[in-house]
Amino acid sequence: MINQYNGISPKGDLLLLQRLARVLGGRSFLHVNSTREGGGVAEILQRMIPILQGLGIDARWEVISGDEQFFEMTKKVHNALQGNKETVTDAMWQHHFEINRQNAANIDLDADAVIIHDPQPGPLVEFKKKGVWIWRCHIDISNPFRDVYNALGRYALKYDAIIFSVSKFARAMNIDEFIIPPSIDPLSEKNRELSDDEISETAKRLGIPADRPIILQVSRFDRFKDPLGVIKSYRMVKKYNDCVLVLAGSPATDDPEGAAVLNEVKEFAANDPDIHILLLPPFSDRDINALQRMAFVVLQKSLKEGFGLTVAEAMWKGKPVIGGAVGGIPLQIVHGITGFLVHSIEGAAFRIRQLLNTPEMADAMGERAKEFVRKNFLITRQIRDYLSAWYIMENKGKSIIEF
Amino acid sequence: MGNMIEGFEFKQCISILKSTGKKAGNLHALKDLIAQVSDDSIFHHTYQYFLKEHILEYTNDFAHWAGESLEERSLAEQLSNIDPYEYDSTSDLRKELLSVIGNYIERFPEPREAMRGDEFYFNETITLIFPIGIRVKNLAEFLMAIKFVDAGSIYYHFYEARMRVGGGIDDFSKWIEESLDKKGLAERIRAIDPFMHNTEDIRRHIAEQIEKELRGDMEVMGVEE
Repeated sequence: MINQYNGISPKGDLLLLQRLARVLGGRSFLHVNSTREGGGVAEILQRMIPILQGLGIDARWEVISGDEQFFEMTKKVHNALQGNKETVTDAMWQHHFEINRQNAANIDLDADAVIIHDPQPGPLVEFKKKGVWIWRCHIDISNPFRDVYNALGRYALKYDAIIFSVSKFARAMNIDEFIIPPSIDPLSEKNRELSDDEISETAKRLGIPADRPIILQVSRFDRFKDPLGVIKSYRMVKKYNDCVLVLAGSPATDDPEGAAVLNEVKEFAANDPDIHILLLPPFSDRDINALQRMAFVVLQKSLKEGFGLTVAEAMWKGKPVIGGAVGGIPLQIVHGITGFLVHSIEGAAFRIRQLLNTPEMADAMGERAKEFVRKNFLITRQIRDYLSAWYIMENKGKSIIEF
Repeated sequence: MGNMIEGFEFKQCISILKSTGKKAGNLHALKDLIAQVSDDSIFHHTYQYFLKEHILEYTNDFAHWAGESLEERSLAEQLSNIDPYEYDSTSDLRKELLSVIGNYIERFPEPREAMRGDEFYFNETITLIFPIGIRVKNLAEFLMAIKFVDAGSIYYHFYEARMRVGGGIDDFSKWIEESLDKKGLAERIRAIDPFMHNTEDIRRHIAEQIEKELRGDMEVMGVEE
């Protein structure tokens, strides 16, 4: 399985993976989260587990179950960790623990290394049997709501280590904290190479014209992704350069605000025939892939962002990306080299114009962007880091480890 | 039969990033924390800066932060001028960093606060070293290999080696001098300033020097024939 990445992933990553597999092969590695599908964590685990198994590691993925009350509470915890003021009562924490206690009775937690993803299954650490237990926090907790953060901390501190995606999400705690950014899979339906026919079939089916450069933003219809700001930027550009704007997202069934934002966007677009607002059903991975490949420039003009892996996805397709300088976006875009970081609508418009008028700059930037993703944001690097963290925890106290 | 030439085995290092959980929001805090953090953290923010693919106008993370986040340009220039390879140990380098920041604070005692979320985050790394399965026996093979290996391998042999081998000597020039007996070439490689380049530049410069040497060798062979 890992051989599929030969010629794609950096050689050193693949070699280190093989070395790590040699020392960790045959041992058990358990991942636990709270959803089998939907969301970035499930997406990457679906791809990662078979690769780990292919490396000879006894990898398993378990999903905890819970009732509506449980998921309402964990949604509050999620929002509070991102800084919202939320009331989470003692009774709710008790229920959180109780659901985890029930799950612990049903899931085989016996493994040499265990990675628990996000707060939902956090209390499982109370039922640790053996091995290295690591809490993988995918959430931006740089500015959390204190009460909830402290309450969750009682579990977090029982782990052997914590993994954060970005340095600024980490906190001063008295345990090992690894920084491991998320990743994309170059072989998945969302990122694999597509033929010209596949791309033009998608363009035709979705009604996207091929005669002018396409500016694309792929994101939920969420105010933090600034879709109105994107339309304003496009209008500034349109005065000088003929182009097409595509805003693509999934329908917001679980987000009541999403429908309102979508209506605002449609209203603001005011039937401009060159603005295409696409509501793609969930799992439209191939269509998103094709849209990213047909785009001339890709925007991720977020005002607030977790990591923003859509940036790496577009960069992997050799596109210059213009992104808001928030969350994990500055880790992916080296300003002026692998894309442009912007702080305003005007800034986005200026950079779009600059790229439209100097296609050779767009090409060079896209090429560097792809190479930057290849070296830093592919799934093989993330697996390498997870296995390294496990191995490091079993060889504590060394700052240099030689194989 | 000539003497058996000892081959050169390419290795590579990969660094796994860890957070110290410590962050500084202004120069006073930065100075206090530089004094406290581990050698590994100082090493990461200075020596390992050269692992970065796209080095712009700074030469270490402290200078980058002072320039970009605090907009203290003059301090950024002074910090960028500190060449870590001039120091025998991380603790000497730490002293120099503290001295430069200390002097700046004396002149400008009320430095700016970084924006929230843009503080300096102190990290450190655990370095994993492994052979990459390439062993070369002569200069031509070495040339092929140096063009092919990952940047992490160039970093390990050209930058990290200076701390390991000592005396500002890298693994490549050491092998070229000791095993191939090519002192001139070794010196030309040692003359490449590690401080002024990233790993890809270093790869290019070394390859150029070796190509030149090989061309020279072949011309001599031609004359002899």
